[in-house]
Amino acid sequence: MITLYDYELSVNCYKQRLMMAILGVEYTSVPVDFYPGWEHKSAEFAKINPLGHIPVIDDDGFMLRDAHAILVYLASRYDPSRLWYPVDDPCRLGETAQWMLFAEGTTNTASSARLHDNLGYDFDIDAVRAGAHKLFRVMDEHLWFREREGLDWVVSGAHPTIADIALFPDVALSEEGGISRLDYPALRRWTDRVRRIPGFVTMPGVIALGESPWD
Amino acid sequence: MSPGDGGPGPASDPRHRWHPIAAVDDLVFRHVYHGKLLGRELAVWRADDGFVNVWENRCLHRGVRLSIGASDGRELVCAYHGWRYANRTAGCTYIPAHPADAPARTICNRTFVAVERYGLVWSAEDPEGEAPPEAAELAGAETLVLRNLPVNAGAGLVIDGLAGYDPESLAAVARRTGDAAALQLGDGTAIVFFVQPVDSDRSVIRPVMTPAPPAADRIGVLRRHSAALEALRKNLEEEAARRPPAEPMTPALEQVPIHLAELPEPSPRGRQAPLRVRVARKWDTAADVAAFELESIAGQLPTFQPGAHIDVHLANGLVRQYSLTNGPGQLDRYRIGVKLEPESRGGSAAMHHTVREGDVLAVSEPRNNFPLRRNAERTVLIAGGIGITPLLAMAQALHHSNLGFELHCFARSPDHLAFGETLDRLGDSVTAHLGLSPADTAAAIARALEGRSPSDRVYGCGPAPMLAAVRELAEAAGWPAETVHFEYFANPTEIDDSSSFEVALARSALTLAVPAGRTVLEVLRDNGVDVASSCEVGACGTCSVGVIEGEPDHQDVYLTSAERAEGARMMACVSRSLGPRLILDL
Repeated sequence: MITLYDYELSVNCYKQRLMMAILGVEYTSVPVDFYPGWEHKSAEFAKINPLGHIPVIDDDGFMLRDAHAILVYLASRYDPSRLWYPVDDPCRLGETAQWMLFAEGTTNTASSARLHDNLGYDFDIDAVRAGAHKLFRVMDEHLWFREREGLDWVVSGAHPTIADIALFPDVALSEEGGISRLDYPALRRWTDRVRRIPGFVTMPGVIALGESPWD
Repeated sequence: MSPGDGGPGPASDPRHRWHPIAAVDDLVFRHVYHGKLLGRELAVWRADDGFVNVWENRCLHRGVRLSIGASDGRELVCAYHGWRYANRTAGCTYIPAHPADAPARTICNRTFVAVERYGLVWSAEDPEGEAPPEAAELAGAETLVLRNLPVNAGAGLVIDGLAGYDPESLAAVARRTGDAAALQLGDGTAIVFFVQPVDSDRSVIRPVMTPAPPAADRIGVLRRHSAALEALRKNLEEEAARRPPAEPMTPALEQVPIHLAELPEPSPRGRQAPLRVRVARKWDTAADVAAFELESIAGQLPTFQPGAHIDVHLANGLVRQYSLTNGPGQLDRYRIGVKLEPESRGGSAAMHHTVREGDVLAVSEPRNNFPLRRNAERTVLIAGGIGITPLLAMAQALHHSNLGFELHCFARSPDHLAFGETLDRLGDSVTAHLGLSPADTAAAIARALEGRSPSDRVYGCGPAPMLAAVRELAEAAGWPAETVHFEYFANPTEIDDSSSFEVALARSALTLAVPAGRTVLEVLRDNGVDVASSCEVGACGTCSVGVIEGEPDHQDVYLTSAERAEGARMMACVSRSLGPRLILDL
């Protein structure tokens, strides 16, 4: 059984909850008092992660930190279809790595703006917002051309990957950091598609689409 | 004619001109598009019937953006508290926090026009002309919408910049028009760059090319222009950043449309029929049941909620109530079903024999005294014969919201089952009970009422003996009276109007004498106090008035026994007084 060191309002923890819900993986959540307790910076928590951040998972003694690394592990270990982390196709695997790195960018801009606005983090708010818009423009154009080819996800092929899961929370919560998605219609349509993935779960601020009878 | 030519020039108020707000491709299945025009945010969505809705992007409840809500193809549901708004009208159809109340007609969001042309969706705040002006360059040949590009620069600056667009050195000849730049390229193609004024410092370039390149070249063409426009955007944004910032546009927010905010003129004339509709289709939907589709002659039909009915005013002076059978968001036509009563007093006979396709009828606005609560885990709908009509609207609403329900239709034979094509689409939730004896009917109703859990609800509509059976069986099976709801066709009670008494109107400071043989409603109207009414036989609940003091002699079939015992309301059309005096909240 996996133990997730978790904080409900963290986008990076949500990425793990979302992935595990979609893959049908059971887990136990250990709440970390991230705010206002700063428990992840405590001496106690340093034994779990010396870098002092969450999420961390403990899968029967195997410890792993860093959100995007954990996604690689979860998909490799618990997705027998090998579609979420496409190791059998070098091109798609490369694209997945590329968009996972892109997601580091969206986390450091869009989600940093959210931490600034919600929890009072000391970031240069104009700079992180401008950075997020720059990345969203790239993503919107990419997804618009994907739609022209009849494709739904950031990585080519018919199936979503861990890159979609890594990017989704940063995008879906951007308004909480004052970053409107008005200018990114293709990006908005992609967030609808992610929300229709079977097994999708929400977090505070992420709204479910509701079931859509396709009649 | 060219964009902007012929119509008002660029100097005129941009609110009167048509602007593109989205590409047709942006409005994918059940997506809510987030748009903005002239500083005003818009929620744009295409309903399953193809209608493009352009609405003010704010819920009338808490002002949250409707663009973060969800479309079920018929209605848009606000993400905050679940208020539902209908396709076409943007009228509110349901408020989850008030499940027993039909939302007021004033809860209607502001809508804007939408026209699709050149692969773009066009709108305007207060347009001159019925559609955007034609662009000469785009006449005739097939067009291709290039990728749109939002720019952090005002529309004027963007149009100036586009006039110099010639990434492939094709000797482009530019022609600047009102809200667009049209380019004739040396290779025979033309591109018109429509520019959407988002705000004073923001716009969206929406290019349309003609003729459309062959399918195999399209992606290449789209990529080349996208890259070239990105380069142009960089220059435009640098230029815009050097200029002094412009004041943001401030659109006026309309509170409530005037026609909804004004109360109807009080009049002693009684039942009003403000709508004129044309019979678009009339057909036999079952033995002795004629179905009618009624379309608006001018403007949009008002919003209705499941369970609502309209009054139809007939040429012979009679007024009859018919339930709307439409599904949610079906506001292009009202659909009703009329059973020919063998002892017709002239109402159903006129509808069957006199009214024809193409005829114009005077009808009331929809009114709902039989609202559907959508907070039940299971809803049991029990229909006897033509009583299917309001329950059909409820069943479709529940079906589209993925809420559990069972619709039991009792009829004499398969030929007596009305609106079979709609019932078929509701699948396994529908059970037809055909040709049953009264005893078998009672047994089938008893089975339908088994296994109650606390949040379940029952709705019954049909002949009075059947509803009496439902009431009795539900009570025996432990259903509290407030979980069982009825709509009667008529009031089977023989009205006793032999009493005479006095009514004091607390708010009007009037005391009126009601003699034997006259109703409270008639006496009120004679004295200039108007009360809305519909059936006027104590069945529909429209003329319900508050009782402050005194003991009413109810005689209606609308109120439940608990409501009767409470004595806080009565029906002005049939209820009287047991004592010498009633004080009414009028």
